[in-house]
Amino acid sequence: MIGARFSSDIDRPLLAATMILTLIGVAFVFSATQMASASAEHGLYLKQIAYLLLALLAGGLIAAVPYRVYEGRTAYLLYGVALGLLVLTLFVGHVGLGAQRWLGWGPVKIQPSELAKVATVILLASQLGDRKKDLTQIRNLVRPILTAGIPFLLVLKQPDLGTSVAFVAMLLTMLYWAGLPLLYLFFLISPIANVALSFYTPAWFVFLGVLAVILYRSRIRLLPLLIVVGVNLIVGIATPQIWNHLQPYQKQRITTFLDPGADAYGAGYQIIQSKIAIGSGQVFGKGYLHGTQKGLAFLPEQHTDFIYSVVGEETGFVGAAFVASLYLLLILRGIRVAHHARNRFGGLLAIGMTSIFLYHVLVNIWMTVGLAPVTGLPLPLLSYGGSSLVASFLQVGLIQNVAMRWRDY
Amino acid sequence: MRAEPIGLGGWQRRERILTVGVAGIFALVLMRLFFLQVLQGQRYRELSEGNRIRVEVLTAPRGEVRDRKGRLLADCVPSFTVTLDPFDKAYTRNPAHIDSTLAALAPILGVDPTFLKEKIQRERKVSFLPIRLKRNVDIKSVAFVSEHRDQLPGVEVESEPLRRYPLGLMASHLLGYVGEISDKELLDPQYGDYLSGDLIGRMGIERRYEKVLRGQDGKRFLEVNALGRKAELLGDKRPIVPRRGVDLELTIDLDVQRAAEEAFPPGARGAVVALDPRNGEVLALASKPNYDPNEFSTGITQERWSELSGGGNYPLFNRAIQAAYPPGSTLKPFTSLAGLECGAIVPGTVFAKSCTGEFRFGTRLFGCWNHDGHGLLSMHDAIVRSCDVYFYQLGLRIGLERLAAFMSKLKLSEKTGIDLPQERRGLFPDLGWYDRRFGTGRWSRGITLNLAIGQGEVSLTPVKLAQLAAFVGNGGVLLKPHLVRSIASGGPPASAQADDSLRQVVPVSPYNLDAVRSAMASVVSDPNGTGGQARLDSIAVAGKTGTAQNPHGKDHALFICFAPADAPRIAVAVLVENAGHGSSAAAPIARKVLEAFFHPAPPESAAVMTGR
Repeated sequence: MIGARFSSDIDRPLLAATMILTLIGVAFVFSATQMASASAEHGLYLKQIAYLLLALLAGGLIAAVPYRVYEGRTAYLLYGVALGLLVLTLFVGHVGLGAQRWLGWGPVKIQPSELAKVATVILLASQLGDRKKDLTQIRNLVRPILTAGIPFLLVLKQPDLGTSVAFVAMLLTMLYWAGLPLLYLFFLISPIANVALSFYTPAWFVFLGVLAVILYRSRIRLLPLLIVVGVNLIVGIATPQIWNHLQPYQKQRITTFLDPGADAYGAGYQIIQSKIAIGSGQVFGKGYLHGTQKGLAFLPEQHTDFIYSVVGEETGFVGAAFVASLYLLLILRGIRVAHHARNRFGGLLAIGMTSIFLYHVLVNIWMTVGLAPVTGLPLPLLSYGGSSLVASFLQVGLIQNVAMRWRDY
Repeated sequence: MRAEPIGLGGWQRRERILTVGVAGIFALVLMRLFFLQVLQGQRYRELSEGNRIRVEVLTAPRGEVRDRKGRLLADCVPSFTVTLDPFDKAYTRNPAHIDSTLAALAPILGVDPTFLKEKIQRERKVSFLPIRLKRNVDIKSVAFVSEHRDQLPGVEVESEPLRRYPLGLMASHLLGYVGEISDKELLDPQYGDYLSGDLIGRMGIERRYEKVLRGQDGKRFLEVNALGRKAELLGDKRPIVPRRGVDLELTIDLDVQRAAEEAFPPGARGAVVALDPRNGEVLALASKPNYDPNEFSTGITQERWSELSGGGNYPLFNRAIQAAYPPGSTLKPFTSLAGLECGAIVPGTVFAKSCTGEFRFGTRLFGCWNHDGHGLLSMHDAIVRSCDVYFYQLGLRIGLERLAAFMSKLKLSEKTGIDLPQERRGLFPDLGWYDRRFGTGRWSRGITLNLAIGQGEVSLTPVKLAQLAAFVGNGGVLLKPHLVRSIASGGPPASAQADDSLRQVVPVSPYNLDAVRSAMASVVSDPNGTGGQARLDSIAVAGKTGTAQNPHGKDHALFICFAPADAPRIAVAVLVENAGHGSSAAAPIARKVLEAFFHPAPPESAAVMTGR
């Protein structure tokens, strides 16, 4: 069989971390839904097991086919399908939690943004990996930026800020892996930092100064230099102007969009409850199924976005740190696979998939411990939800695919 | 700088940097977990066990509303509201417990427990705040809740400002009322800063100036311990201090308003609008039947709501701005003005056909209200005695096209732009309108006859009629009626603003306007005039009666006027539905309004109404 020859080269720690996390997920979806006043949620863990079987199948299949098949034309095909689904979602999607994120046929509902992330990474790997390009040339950056930018905008439109930023995170990680110097990464994100700082003039001047020094020292070519300076000046001057001309309710919409917890006492309350749940777990936790905070105020997201707070409450610091360590293991193994890959495409594929995990895990956990805004991102492998689980297994499957074929020529 | 060669093994440095970075970020997560669970674990454990965290909303009192002389129309008084926190431990552990709480509480509050249950289920989905079970509860209920605290988990008595309208039914339509925000509105981003159960202005000033009046609610997080003692939860969220709403001073003169409302016979339906023709300030705006806005402040039952919003008489309906009626003969001064302005007649024009009580046009016979006939009349006398036959001939001579063009200068088919919500437009149809309605050319010229006497397809709101009366009185200026004189936070009074949108000069000849004005003065002063019932002893009044046929039964009675006739300080429009003749049913109401304006009641009764 296609994969059998290489099965001894499967990355075992990665596989083990994935499976343990997934089983922990099922256990805590069960725990989180037992107290729910709505009895309809009691059987959700069974559905999660069904999703798991589906996810295993999908992950196994995608790992079995030699990964170079996904390069080139296949990558564009997958990407095209994913974009099509995203566009469809905007027009006929289901509204959930204030945004249009779901696409459904009868009882089947999928979240196309989850699949779009995988497809985008494949295409980016294909574009950045086909031959050596000097990424400091702007023309070589146009295509990858467009590739990540289109799904970014489509998901932003839903609106789902958290997921859309994932496309930026993986683009930056993959550009770095493909050879873009850190300095240029800094130039790429400088306009974003600029927007944030432009409201406080002293900070803005300091930023411009630092940028100027770096630009001078870097001795980059004239055209990119002009572009970086121009974009930063325009963005920095225009942002406060635009902001001041917005209606109060429009401003409120934006601040709520960026940080729901800051404005609505609703989401702020969620954060406080999540912190109480995690903190009250103390060192060893209250024991599995013995959490008292679940079923509280933040009911609808308890088994999805806030599952980590149930873990923290019932298993304490020991359990929460264990789960975090498993994620760390998974991500470090992913980086290792990328490092040892046989070719550029494989390495970029593995690092891209790993970056999706890294982004989601960090943003979700930081949210539940009160360090990041409430964004509505699931915790991969743990949170309830079929689309997320299948996408996670596709990612792991592709990383394993690269790992299994490191001897391949 | 060039990109370093990347390929097999070239990832060494990047792998090391990424690994160290990722490990560092995870170390931060572990440190945070250590802080929350180990260092602060004890505190959070306590919070999760005995104590409850809840949000207390500090409701901002709405701004007060006063009349132009400072007399109170709406304010806020302290009241008690019983709330329930559906996220109390008792209910999250055992959802059925909520039923027993409601069963104990509902009879005391006098509310249906299933209604409360539905309210809770609806509202707990949209916010985490305690849910208001009943506003404005009496002291007995307050005592019951505090005595049975241990059997009623999560139930609290909170102090809240209650919207009060000390004059009850008085001025209800212009004030509007407040009610709980609907679920549909909550989804609208425009109302993003409202929470379920919040009050929002409905109709009238309360609606139009909601943003100003509302103020800003405060909130704070409280830690409630097992004894029910509250302590502010610091560090997590700073409390937001409530900001009181802004006070409004209206242009309304309570004396005039009261006279207008009391002049209506019991059970009558209709409206009165009184304006200052110099600046457009609304002195009185009444609609009958009316309602008591206090009923809405504490929450209203479904049955009572249907009664008010329908109930045959539609008491909630603001007839002064939401209903358009055929103006009848009150339009005649403006038909005359149209004739003068387009040169069809001069004030002395006498038409060839004498009024015999009827007028033949083609095969149709058009009657005059006076079946005995008026004989040969000049324009002046035709207005004074309201002769229909004169205006049939005038309408024919002007023609629909020129008549409609002049009426559009007076903006008959537009809203006045009064600062109240839900104003309706009137209509003066033109050629295009008839072509669209009946097909090009497929309508008779006879419609012009009806339009000339204010019948047929023309319809106007009472506020528009008042604006038109003011227009004649002030020498040709269309004013935008407005109710808010000043917003107390400062800034110039709205009426003092040199705002072009408030006044629009319509170019008409002062000579022509004078001719119409003197005819309107004679309507009231001349023994042959139809408006004698609006006559005052000391002050010359100029007016015009109207009796409008309508498909809904007896004729509507109308009267428009302004006084003093030569330099008016007030313009009034009166409409009484299905009351018969304008001369006998509407003009007397206008007289009482004028009397109250020119001879206000002694101030002692006014002091009582001020309230505080």
